[in-house]
Parts: sequence; C-alpha cells; structure tokens
Amino acid sequence: MSQSLNLPGWVFWLLGLMLLGMVLLALVAVRRTNGIKRSYFSAPYTLWMVLFTVVPVLLIAYYSLTDANGAFTLDNFKNFWDSNYSVNQLYAQMGPEYAVLIQRGTVNIGILAYSLWMALLCTVICLALGYPAAYFMADREIKIGSTLVVLFIIPMWMNFLLRTVAWMTLLEDQGLINGLLKALGLHGAQLMYNDGAVLLGMVYNFLPFMVFPIYTSLTKMDSRLLEAAQDLGADHLRTFWRVTAPLSVPGVISGISMVFMPSVTTFFIPRILGGGNTMMFGDLIENRFLTEGNWNVGSALSLIMMILILISLSVLRKADPEGEGGGIV
Amino acid sequence: MIEQEHLIDLQHICKDFDGTTVLQDINLYIRRKEFVTLLGPSGCGKTTTLRIIGGFEYPSSGTVLFEGKDIGVLPPYKRKVNTIFQKYALFPHYNVFDNIAFGLKIAKLPAAEIRQRVEGMLELVNLKGYGRRSVDQLSGGQQQRVAIARALVNKPQVLLLDEPLGALDLKLRKDMQLELKRMQQALGITFLYVTHDQEEALTMSDTVVVMRDGEILQIGDPKSVYDEPINAFVADFIGESNIMHGMMVHDELVRFSGFNFPCVDEGFGQNQPVDVVVRPEDIMIVGEDIGQISGVVQSVLFKGVHYEMMIDAGETVFKVHSTIMQPQGSRVGLNIVPYNIHIMQPMTLPIDMEGGGSES
Ligand SMILES: Nc1ncnc2c1ncn2[C@@H]1O[C@H](COP(=O)(O)OP(=O)(O)OP(=O)(O)O)[C@@H](O)[C@H]1O
Ligand SMILES: [Mg+2]
Repeated sequence: MSQSLNLPGWVFWLLGLMLLGMVLLALVAVRRTNGIKRSYFSAPYTLWMVLFTVVPVLLIAYYSLTDANGAFTLDNFKNFWDSNYSVNQLYAQMGPEYAVLIQRGTVNIGILAYSLWMALLCTVICLALGYPAAYFMADREIKIGSTLVVLFIIPMWMNFLLRTVAWMTLLEDQGLINGLLKALGLHGAQLMYNDGAVLLGMVYNFLPFMVFPIYTSLTKMDSRLLEAAQDLGADHLRTFWRVTAPLSVPGVISGISMVFMPSVTTFFIPRILGGGNTMMFGDLIENRFLTEGNWNVGSALSLIMMILILISLSVLRKADPEGEGGGIV
Repeated sequence: MIEQEHLIDLQHICKDFDGTTVLQDINLYIRRKEFVTLLGPSGCGKTTTLRIIGGFEYPSSGTVLFEGKDIGVLPPYKRKVNTIFQKYALFPHYNVFDNIAFGLKIAKLPAAEIRQRVEGMLELVNLKGYGRRSVDQLSGGQQQRVAIARALVNKPQVLLLDEPLGALDLKLRKDMQLELKRMQQALGITFLYVTHDQEEALTMSDTVVVMRDGEILQIGDPKSVYDEPINAFVADFIGESNIMHGMMVHDELVRFSGFNFPCVDEGFGQNQPVDVVVRPEDIMIVGEDIGQISGVVQSVLFKGVHYEMMIDAGETVFKVHSTIMQPQGSRVGLNIVPYNIHIMQPMTLPIDMEGGGSES
C-alpha cells in the first residue's frame, strides 16, 4: 500500500510565490535600512523556518497519529513496542540477511539501542581524535596548524555518500588495503560488513563536526589567559586542565551534539560499509517510508527519534548553562 | 628601605623579532623593594622587557639574573615573579575568589589557608564580600583590583605591572596610583612598572627608566630625570619644555634665541652647538625693561593652577607657566636664572624643536 502526498498543483505555485517573496523582502532589507521596522527584516527567515521546519514537523506529527485512512490512532506508537509485528513485517521486507537482528527479538528497540550505542561510540571516538586535532590546529606555535585546517576542510567539499563509497573501494575484499596485504604476502582480511567498518565510516564522516567547534572555541580563547596561568605557577598540564579545558567546554558540547545527532540518525553508511548485516535507526525509518511505503509508522519512528534527540540536547544544555554551544544546543 | 642587593639584573639584553631589533643592549638592575618604572613612547619595548623578565619571551642575547642566578631559560611558572597584564587577563570561568586563589591552589596550600589569605587580600583591595561575584560583573576598576590581588596573594618577590591603570578614568587612576604605592610599601614588594604616562612615572617611582626605540636613554630618580634630562628627547618626554638649538659660547655662557644667557654648565668647549632646555615654570615674567629678553604675549590658557602663556620673543616663542596672568598682546620681560638653563649634547634624533616646546 504505497502512499504519497497528493498535493494539488496550486500548492507548488504557492510555495514558489512565497519563496520569491522572501527573496524580494531580503533584497529590500539589504537596500533600505530606515523607514521600515528592523524586525520585519527577519520575516524571510521566519517564513523559511515555518515552511521547512515547523510545517514538516507538524506533518510528521499528523501522520504518526493517523492510520492509512487518515483516522486517529495510537497504534503506530504502540506497535513500536510490539516486536512481533515488527519482526514479521521486517522479515517480509528484507529477507534472510536480517535474520541475526530479527533473532534478537525486539527489532525496533534493538535497532534503536544499537543506533544509540554506535552513535555514542562514534561521538566518544570523534572527541578523542578531534580534541587533540583541534588543539594542535589552534596552537599558533605549530606552523602546520593552518595546513591541518585545510586538510580537514577539503574532504568536506565532497558529498558524504561519495566519501563513504570511497571507503568501500579501500576496504573491500578486492580493495586497495587487501590488495596491498596480499602483495606483501599476507592474508587478506574481512574489513567490511561489520560494526567496525560502519563505525569507521561514521567517524570519518562526522569527525570534522567535532573538530571545528572545538577549534573555534580554542582560537577564540585569549592567549593571555594561558600566560596568566603560567605566571601564577601552573605548568603546561595544569594550565590545560584549569584554563584551556574549561574554556573549550562550549566547543566540546556543540561538537558532541553536532556529531551525536547525525550519528543516531545515520543511514546509508551501514548499508554500504555494513553490507546489510547491520541496520541503524535511520535505515529503519527510511525503510518504513520508502520500501514499505508506510508513512504513518515511519512518522511515528521519526517522532520518537526527534524526542530522543531533544532529550539528549536538553541534557547537554544542562552541562553548558551559558548556552555558548555555538547556537547548536 | 630599598636594599642595596640587586634582585634583578638585565645585562646586555637584545631582542629581535624576525630580524627587527626591538631591544638593544638593555642594562638595568632592580634592587629589592625598589619601585622602578619603565617609561617611553608606544612601541619602545617596555612590554617586551617585562615579558623577558616574566619568562614569556626569551632574549636573543644577554643575561637575566634573578638574585644573582641566571634564569634565562626558566619557564614562567618557575619564576618568583608575578605579572599584572596590560588587560588584566582574569579567568572568565572563575569567580573573584577562585581567580585570586588560582596561584595558591596550584601551590597546593591547605584550603583553610587559601581562604584566609584570599579574604585578607579582598580586604586589602577593598573588595570584601565580592568573592562570589563573576568577574565580568565587575567594573574596570574592580577587575583591576582583582588582578592586583591575584598577583599579590602569592607574595611574589617582584611584581611586574604592564600599564595596569591604562584603562581607567583619570579620577580612578589617581586613586589607584596611591593605592598601589601604599601596597608596595606596606608589603615590601619590588615593583617593575610600565607606563607611558610621565606624570604617573614621576609620582610613583623610586627610579625612572626612560626608553626610546628599544634603548635606555636615562635612569635616575624622578627628580633628577626631571631636572637634569640627559637630552632633549627626555626633556621633551618628561614634563613640558622649551627646547632650543643653541651654542655654547664658552663655559657658563650659552647663546640661544638670539641672546647670550649665563648658565652653570661647563666643559662643552667653545662655540659648540648644543640643545637648550628650559621648563615653562622656570621662566620668570618681569617688567618689560628689566628682563633679559622681552616678548609679546600671544595667547593665554587657564590650566587650573596656573596660566600657560605663549610669549613671542622674536626668534623663539616661549611657553611660560605662571600663576599671574598677563593680558594678551602686552609686552613683558623674561628672566631665566642660570641654574634653570639645561644644556645638553645636541641630538641627532629628530624632535619638535620649534620654540615653545611641545605638549607631552
Ligand atoms: N611577538 C612579536 N612579534 C613581532 N614584533 C613584536 C612582538 N612583540 C612586540 N613586537 C614589536 O616590538 C616593539 C616593542 O613592542 P612592545 O610591546 O614592547 O612596546 P611597548 O613599549 O610595550 O608599547 P606600548 O606602550 O604601546 O604597549 C614594537 O615595535 C612591536 O611591534
Ligand atoms: Mg606595552
């Protein structure tokens, strides 16, 4: 039972007109700064937010609370906890390669827990790798710092799907690394189709989102504070723990949220690098929407995801009461 | 009360940044409990000198001795020196108490002692009860005092102060000058103070070091630097002056502004070019016909305690300070006693030589 938005044509005309209006308003705002209340100038952006954030969220809420015929129901949420329903559905959809997962019983919960766990691992690894990287990039005494920044930015110019596929050619059984190993007379190894490969892909894709907020918070820091700490008797290590680290907390928090959020909702990476042996929550949502065509269940899953993300964000906000998390938290 | 022992000795310090010489052969000693001020125009190397003593820069050549021991390569955290930075550099993530306690906590003192010493310090800088405040809730003057307390609480042997009052308004500045001087004497700490405000330097210091372009021009107590500037630049920089090119006719007679004046200087030779400095307050206004020279009052400015008059004496326009006003356009006589005529070797350095001196 495939289902899609059958919107009448005039809706698209309306959307187009609104977009045009926003552009015009923005142009006026740029050219004229007096005579019009300044708060009007934010109208295009408010409109943008409403169109592309508020409206979709409301739509998702609507779909999650209705069934295929548009009648109100809570089944979509109830079924989330009902593993039997999901197991059967999933099995029918995806066939035997998901057997492992399905044997774990509670598919939805299992996938959710697995996603959270992978996201957590990814965030921790990104922090462990990203903080030192940001630290060295921000250190003015280290001449290669600015080169490092460029090296980090260049891969970001490329689409993340391409980057992930590139990893595939490295890790495959016939890929570059295995080729090299064999050329050296060593045994090839199964590098893909496991959690490690998925994690690698996630870390690789999300690491810059950890590095840059931390880098920014470190470069914003007044270097005289470090001198003041040393002046008061703190050696390099203690200067770091008492001054640098606490002052980079906002960057760390914004880095964590920028990595954790997309990590939890990761999809596609598990399919490419995990070879279908693993599935994350993002894949599940995608599956519900696109493969199964069930917008109602898909929306319910999305809403659950959003609520989880909001909860983790508010926990993070507690850790950074000044709200300096780069506007992310 | 200043002890004779040299606490800090700078010997032949040179410093260059990427080939540009910033300090050139700096030789300076600082005695225990002395209040030494580095004075000079912007960019002359005051901060750099301070940073070399604090350990934040290393000299390109030369030796830094502390209590007779070479500390050239010692990192800042091992030096018995504390600094008050040009813009305070308070830790924004700590409150007032924790800012002041920073050094003591690093030194791992017992909590009770830390508390007691910080509270004592808060009282000394008139910030009792401010311990829990966040530092960005403080006014400039209060932040200033936290910075002072944060340094002083460690009982440093030497306190380096880099234009600590630069950001304050005039009134607060004057108050803090007195307060700093009082603390320095009460605690018996050696101060190395940086300023480009000559008045501040003269009021606070035991010793003034005048610098220019990375070199020390003159070292002396405030009075001797003011009364016997070594050259026209120092005279110009310290206080207000009339600076003129002149010629030493012979010992005890100098010619400038078209007239011969008796003076007290000897040993410049005969008919030698010299620079002549006369302070505005050292020129006496007398009756038109009994002055050594005479001139017409060009302008009169009221300066609070005295009047500042520009008096045109033909070749030179003299700046004269007097508590008695002469009406503009009137003709007056001018007298300068020999003792108040300062003769110095002419400078090759370009400075404003146009009669009436210059504001400094
Ligand atoms: N890290 C540096 N790299 C290169 N040049 C520097 C550096 N630090 C200082 N300088 C240069 O050294 C010279 C002296 O600087 P310094 O900060 O010691 O001057 P200052 O006397 O403290 O001046 P101000 O009164 O403006 O504070 C200046 O010309 C400055 O540009
Ligand atoms: Mg300076």
